Amino acid sequence: MKASGFPYVLPMLLLSVAFFATPLAVLVGFSFAGPGGATLEHYARFFGDAFNFRVLVNTARLGLETVIGTTLLGVPIALLYWHGGRNLRQVLIFLTLIPMLTSNVVRTFAWIVILGRQGPISEALVGLGLTGMPTSLLFTELGLVMAMCQIDLPLIILPLIAILSRTPVQLTEAAQVSGAGPWRIFVTVLLPLMLPGLLAGWILVFASTSSSFVTQAVIGGARNVYVPQLIYREVGTLFDWPLASAIAVVLLLSTGCLLVALTMMSRHRRLVGHA
Amino acid sequence: MNVMKDFQITRRGFGFLAAGVAASAMLPFAARAAGGGAVAATFPGSWEDAYRAVLTPMVKDAGYDLTIAPAMAQDQLAKIMASPGNPPYDTLLMSPGQMAVAIEKDLIQKIDPSKLKNWGMLDPSFQGEYGPTVTIEVNGIAYNPDLVPKPKPKGYRDLFENPAYSGKVSWTGFASNTAVMAYTEIAKIFGSGPNDMDAVFKLFKDHPEHLKGVVDSTNHQMTLFQQGEIAVFMCSTGNVARLKSLGLNAEFVQPETGSPAAPVNIHLTKGTANLDAAYAYMDAAISKAAQDQLKEPPTEMFPTNKDVALTPGIEAYVTRDQIKTMVYPDWVAINKNRDGWIRQFDALVAG
Repeated sequence: MKASGFPYVLPMLLLSVAFFATPLAVLVGFSFAGPGGATLEHYARFFGDAFNFRVLVNTARLGLETVIGTTLLGVPIALLYWHGGRNLRQVLIFLTLIPMLTSNVVRTFAWIVILGRQGPISEALVGLGLTGMPTSLLFTELGLVMAMCQIDLPLIILPLIAILSRTPVQLTEAAQVSGAGPWRIFVTVLLPLMLPGLLAGWILVFASTSSSFVTQAVIGGARNVYVPQLIYREVGTLFDWPLASAIAVVLLLSTGCLLVALTMMSRHRRLVGHA
Repeated sequence: MNVMKDFQITRRGFGFLAAGVAASAMLPFAARAAGGGAVAATFPGSWEDAYRAVLTPMVKDAGYDLTIAPAMAQDQLAKIMASPGNPPYDTLLMSPGQMAVAIEKDLIQKIDPSKLKNWGMLDPSFQGEYGPTVTIEVNGIAYNPDLVPKPKPKGYRDLFENPAYSGKVSWTGFASNTAVMAYTEIAKIFGSGPNDMDAVFKLFKDHPEHLKGVVDSTNHQMTLFQQGEIAVFMCSTGNVARLKSLGLNAEFVQPETGSPAAPVNIHLTKGTANLDAAYAYMDAAISKAAQDQLKEPPTEMFPTNKDVALTPGIEAYVTRDQIKTMVYPDWVAINKNRDGWIRQFDALVAG
């Protein structure tokens, strides 16, 4: 960036400091607040309770499971978009964007119907003879992952589409002419091309899933406890704000570490090739 | 095709859009400043709908604007604590459990009854120094008669000891007032007294099928009841009235050991800048005109104004004489132990 460009970024910089960095600093400050000055007591309390640690692990696992689920669903859809004609592409974009325009709360409550005893999944299982009686997937991690995959799917499809839109479809034909089979084309040509989009999508999906309070609470129930519920409990019920801040900082750091690792991967030339 | 290229906006257009968004974000503040109205925190759902429909026009007639802001009692407290000196609500709506916290943390103030025309219409037990009682929530057991065995459950003991209820009962954690009141009653039945929560935790350990039905809040239970996912849950008569108004088959049982009850009060937040409007709202909420409407379905709120006759529907749940015999928990003791109970129960439920 040229030095003369600095005034143009100044408003953005000020806004970032005022509305992002300052609240974050307040949050971190709260997490160290004690009656006699700065203290690590709240972090010690958090890590001193095995239950909290388990909740942290559960949250990371939920994020990873959703990342895997959205990848398995998102990649074929993005490839279909890539190969599709103008009409198919418009339909796919429409179907991807429309759910994002619907409130997360509404989508979550719709999943109660889908996952419930009288929902289509239960009826299909009974109809196929896989279960003898209606089954509810509510309050199960599987049900929650299914809901999160649907809710967060656009977050992985859109970066993939953005990447593939810049890539000529003839690339696969060239690889075919060179004698590569479909799997070889996918692994050696398409996957490295899509990796930056995948990494961006994984970051978005993981961050969104691990902080998705409403869906976690409604679909996961009280048996599946995740970090956002823990924070809400400390703030809204127990009014222990320093501990809530410490938990929020731990969530931020653990998610941040993963994001940094993924970002570093996205910059690794050997991994992403020349995409 | 690059999807982003399909959406174009000029710099001027963006400027107008940004200004519009900023202006719309400021609207509530501007409206509040211009009208000199009150912002009243109210429980979400049927409370919010009823208060907006009944009280907003009445307060308007008194010359003030009224904004009904839905929030659970715990959330009201958290928001007030987050902005000391500049409260986002002029009045709060809560039960004695949260009121004790609000007093302890110096978040509400004593009221001046001389500013309430309808104050004399309240029974002395409803004339709190921190605000009037607008209704009494009577709690018990809600059930779907199509899904539970006959005869109907007699009380909490039945739910644990009759195997017919296995897997059909839903509970919430100790953060819920409704749940805490039920657990103190269960502690009396299965333990040595209302605070013997170890007996309750042991009961759940001995009946793990009950742990499967634990959800986050009564509101979620209402949704699950509608979907036929649960058949029995702990609730107030108001919840059952709401379910019935939605056309659902819901019935209410007063536990044989007594119905836990919670007065619901309006409180004046400390530092409110709209005292007159807040008093006008408070006065409207305890007026005969308002309570005559609020006692009807779908809210069926028990009227605290002496001049308001009970409806047959409310009398089927509770009469004025019975109000005195309800079980009123010791919220000071509950608040002292609640932190530990919440953590213990959450760990137990998570397994």
